[in-house]
Amino acid sequence: MDAWWQCEIPYPDVDKAITDAADSVRASLPNRLCDPETAARHFDEVMDEFAYCDELGMNVVCIEHHAGINSMIGSNPMITGALARQTKNVRVLSLGTLISLRPDPVRVAEEYATADTMLRGRFDIGFVKSGGTEFASANMQPMNNEERFWEAIDLVSKALTNHDGPISWEGKHFHHRHINLWPGPYQRPMPPMWAATGDPRSAAEVGRRGFRHVLVLRGPEGTKAAYEAHRKARREAGLPRVTTDNFAYAAMVYVGETEEEGIAGGEKLLWFLNTSLKSAPQYNKLLPGAAPPQAAPGLYRTKPKADAGITFKDAEKGVTSASQNAQKLMQLSAREAMQQGILFAGTPDQVHRQITEFYDKVGGFGHLVLIGRSGHMTHAESMKGIKLFSKEVLPRLKEIAPVEVG
Amino acid sequence: MSNEVRTESVALHGVELEVKRTGAGRTLLFLHGFQPVAPEARFLQLLGRRAEVVAPSHPGFGGSSRPKDFESVYDVLNLYGAFLETLPGKVTLVGSSFGGWLAAELAVRSCDRIERLVLVDALGIKVSPRDVPDILDVFNTHPAKVKQAMWADLSKAPDHDEMTDEQLIALHRNWGSLSLYGWHPYMHNPRLAAWLDRIKVPTLVLWGEQDGIVKPSYGQAYAQRIPGARFATIAGAGHHPELEQPDHFADHVLGFIG
Repeated sequence: MDAWWQCEIPYPDVDKAITDAADSVRASLPNRLCDPETAARHFDEVMDEFAYCDELGMNVVCIEHHAGINSMIGSNPMITGALARQTKNVRVLSLGTLISLRPDPVRVAEEYATADTMLRGRFDIGFVKSGGTEFASANMQPMNNEERFWEAIDLVSKALTNHDGPISWEGKHFHHRHINLWPGPYQRPMPPMWAATGDPRSAAEVGRRGFRHVLVLRGPEGTKAAYEAHRKARREAGLPRVTTDNFAYAAMVYVGETEEEGIAGGEKLLWFLNTSLKSAPQYNKLLPGAAPPQAAPGLYRTKPKADAGITFKDAEKGVTSASQNAQKLMQLSAREAMQQGILFAGTPDQVHRQITEFYDKVGGFGHLVLIGRSGHMTHAESMKGIKLFSKEVLPRLKEIAPVEVG
Repeated sequence: MSNEVRTESVALHGVELEVKRTGAGRTLLFLHGFQPVAPEARFLQLLGRRAEVVAPSHPGFGGSSRPKDFESVYDVLNLYGAFLETLPGKVTLVGSSFGGWLAAELAVRSCDRIERLVLVDALGIKVSPRDVPDILDVFNTHPAKVKQAMWADLSKAPDHDEMTDEQLIALHRNWGSLSLYGWHPYMHNPRLAAWLDRIKVPTLVLWGEQDGIVKPSYGQAYAQRIPGARFATIAGAGHHPELEQPDHFADHVLGFIG
């Protein structure tokens, strides 16, 4: 099993009174609340943390989110480019240039080819379907997101694998009459592709395409179900079995010297859920297409009837129904988050055990993505967590060899 | 005495179009806004006294299907072009809100099947400078603010807690369909204003005085661009004067029909 560390470079410094009063901490908070010097310091620290991961042999991940306190990485390719020069050893995963929200996938392909060249092939490409406030930030139509997502991936793949001069594309969502990348990707035919998605339909498509399938904060049941949808789709398409190397899980992870220290770090990571997810109803539950029409009773009623409609929650995108279960997600304690399999925290032994237990519950996975720093965790705490994980946990994970599944 | 509102399904160009009909007289084609017409709406009854009201639900709204890839406002317009051909004689075309955008576009294309046009709090054009939106972004604004902009009397707004599961499911489906047709450019055709002088039939532009989705000044700008158009406001109404002030609304429309 391999590990990939990420921090989204959040901005946790907005006064709590302000974030409590705001209906949304994403998309609509004015950026006068984002002090340039503080922002710059956060970038410095996290880039140093990425460099430290490289020194210690832990891969790194770059995410992309827009216009919120949750992340200041509005441009994944830019950070990826910086990582290309400041890492020497590990692989860099660009998990989520928001391909379905960019108007021009060919431009994304160019950025990826550039990154892969600068990284001399130490590069993995990841796609996320995005959601919530990102549609406002990108001005992109939410109903068609999934369709756009796959067409964009097709176009990126075509652009990256074409070496014969200009080609063209006139699809439903994207038109680009002249595609000819210089340079092409360093890795041929193209870098390994990841996709982050949990619903059965897109999980099946990920499976058929043979992408590395990553589930983010989904918990064991949802993760297992998604992996199984992936494998089932491959079986039904008569495709060969893959190994656990094609499966990944992203969780909040913090290792301390003691259990208390580990859990305290884990609690700081929960800022991601309890503070940075808050978004106004027009950006989540009422966003067209975020939930199917059948979920409507839970979205619109202010006095929910018991079990009205279908319950619907998705921590990654901050979409919640009015059901009490979903509201609770934002108020989780570290212990509850650990029970739910979205936080692994404690001593190195404890974290190692939590990971292997999760591995057993979901039928195996070959890549762990660590949400390693968030909220008010300090730079020193983050560096310490990286060190403890890399030295005490990662070597044991690397002993877990890929296993054929399906 | 009230007229029965019949609901039927018309198969047209791959769409199962839900059409409500009531009343008798010359045909009045009503194109709805964000939500389809409710059969019990008072304005339907009032208009039905002097006209045969035909009220289709746009594809993807109410009981109307929406075929795959049918996602553009121009798909809707082409369908209604075909639908107009199925109606006897010429119609009084009444468009409310999003339906007003549709009605203006249809009239610009051709007035062959249209004898009069009524635009009620219509969307569809751009009049302000590029950094000033004319139409409140209902997808990007808190629902409480949208509600305040839509209704002069907040008690007239639909109470979601009073609605059935089925009604809420339909509401959300309608919302999704609306977002497909009106996302980008937002709820308008940037070039439509330049072509409004092609409209050759008598036109009435009606506006709720307290409409916060599209202000009365926008309505005036609309009317100014249509040759000979009349502009009138209805007090005590927001974006849906037909729902908030059905009697005044019907008076205006029936007076205009003559």
